[in-house]
Amino acid sequence: MSSILVKNEAQLGLKLVAPAVGIIGLLVIYPILFNIYLSFFDVQLNGSKTFVGLDNYTDLLGNPRYYHSVGVSIVYLIGTVVGTTVLGLAASILMNQEFRFRNLARGLILLPYFAPVISVVFGWQFIFDPVNGIYNHVVVDVLHLTNERENLIGNPDSALFVVILFDIWKHFPIAYLLFLAKLQSVPKDLYEAAAIDGQNAWGRFWHVTLPELRFVIATVVLLRIIWNLNRFEDVYLLAPNVETLPIFTYYQAFAGIVDQGGAAAISVIQLLVLVGLIWLYVRKVLKW
Amino acid sequence: MMNKRTPIQSVILYSLVLALVIFCVFPFLQILSTSLKHPIDWGNPSLIPRVLHLDAYKELLGLMPAKEIEVPASIQRLLDNPALSEEKKQMLLAKFSSGGDVFPFGRYMLNTFVISFITGICSTFLASLAAYAIARLRFPAQSLMANGVLFVYMVGGVLLMVPLYQMSVNVGLASSAGGTILSLFLIYLIQTLPVAMYMLGNYFRTIPFSLEEAAMMDGCSRVEAFWRIIMPLSKPMLFTVFIYCFVIAWNEYLFASVFLKQYQDFQTLPLALQTLFTSKNAIWDRIMAASMLTLLPVVICFMLANKHLSGGLTDGGVKG
Repeated sequence: MSSILVKNEAQLGLKLVAPAVGIIGLLVIYPILFNIYLSFFDVQLNGSKTFVGLDNYTDLLGNPRYYHSVGVSIVYLIGTVVGTTVLGLAASILMNQEFRFRNLARGLILLPYFAPVISVVFGWQFIFDPVNGIYNHVVVDVLHLTNERENLIGNPDSALFVVILFDIWKHFPIAYLLFLAKLQSVPKDLYEAAAIDGQNAWGRFWHVTLPELRFVIATVVLLRIIWNLNRFEDVYLLAPNVETLPIFTYYQAFAGIVDQGGAAAISVIQLLVLVGLIWLYVRKVLKW
Repeated sequence: MMNKRTPIQSVILYSLVLALVIFCVFPFLQILSTSLKHPIDWGNPSLIPRVLHLDAYKELLGLMPAKEIEVPASIQRLLDNPALSEEKKQMLLAKFSSGGDVFPFGRYMLNTFVISFITGICSTFLASLAAYAIARLRFPAQSLMANGVLFVYMVGGVLLMVPLYQMSVNVGLASSAGGTILSLFLIYLIQTLPVAMYMLGNYFRTIPFSLEEAAMMDGCSRVEAFWRIIMPLSKPMLFTVFIYCFVIAWNEYLFASVFLKQYQDFQTLPLALQTLFTSKNAIWDRIMAASMLTLLPVVICFMLANKHLSGGLTDGGVKG
């Protein structure tokens, strides 16, 4: 190719990416840097700021609520990541079998993922409602496991587990899709060979399916950690009393005594963790 | 796997599938069922309502007949008093017919639809230009941009809410309703652009380059080749990406709550529903009917795009 053509192509390329990259730069890259800047100030909702140096960070590190929310986030992350991965894997193996109505079942499984959080959240609230909910009906009136109806979502400790269950329900379809796509590319003769070697279903899963899916599983786990670390809406809308890090940040920034500088400081620390995880993803996962 | 299943294996397989589907669908059935139940029926654990009760839907969609204004007898006497000016009478009447408990659902739905639709169109258009460049053209910093997109789409909204809010305060956008909506639109654009670019980039790579080459031989410029060859061939994928962006914007709550709190007329459905739930008008059947109606457009979109969606999502690495 002549050098003029190369130059023209480069110019056209830059022109085509410019709008998208410009918007992303202005509204993602710049805010990230601006956030670091803000974290050294006392910032009001109306935009006025006073420089306070490292105060936001020292305040944060001396705040027991911060450590509490870190703890809640860790439990939440472990629960949802393990749950979505295991259920996604099981569902993908199940849906990879041939059976009647398979397409219908595959479609229905994806519904939780697409449904707006705001509408499904009320369904879940109703299920766990202490007066009318089916959960208390089954546990108390049918199975007689406890004598009293409990408000599971009202109590922050049990609400955490409801939120974890909810998020597994909401996000396992994605893990399922990624697993299913990989499963469909596993050569059939691997299973036949394993069957000839006398492996039963469990042995075939252990010696063929798992090793073939190894990298996808790692991808799913890492992506889930990255996304659930930032997850706000599901938790806040279902049970605002479960204080994961994003919820804590939101309260700092927009509720009660507004402390936007403090909220910026939390985001900066969280961003550092996130960058580490993304680096790991680009370095390890994308190389596979 | 390849051999015929024994009857017992079949039974196990179908029960597992059924269990999984019920797990996924049950909350939806619960919402539908409660939205159709009369309040006296809420304690009834069965999903099937004893009597079908459509008032909640009628009320939300504005199909309820206007309520008779009930005026206490003492006030009625006052109103009949000819000495009272007409203006005063109207003021008195207005107190009793105030629409304070009416939830303008249609308005919120329209707000949400407009902003989601515009987001979807703009995002798909800008993303297809950028994705084509990244997939096909060679230019400086190309791979940096391809990786940068990946990075951006893993940064969550929570990390950006303070700086974005402060930026819109600083440039004065947050002080007017129009400016607030513009900020929100731009934010939805960046929330959808990276995913859209990623999905479309992967798709464009599957179209053989020879098609564009042939077009260019026939005298098309590069841009014309993109417009006349690539875009029409990508129609199903463009539609899928549009739906995906539309749904993301339709569902968004965090930034809507940060930006639109004080502009009640411009609120979107997620925000309005949350307000309804915590207000004095929180009634289960109404909440559930509103949920159902918020859900409906998404389910329709989903059914329209379902064919390409699964493939597109796994190609695109998926966000969420």
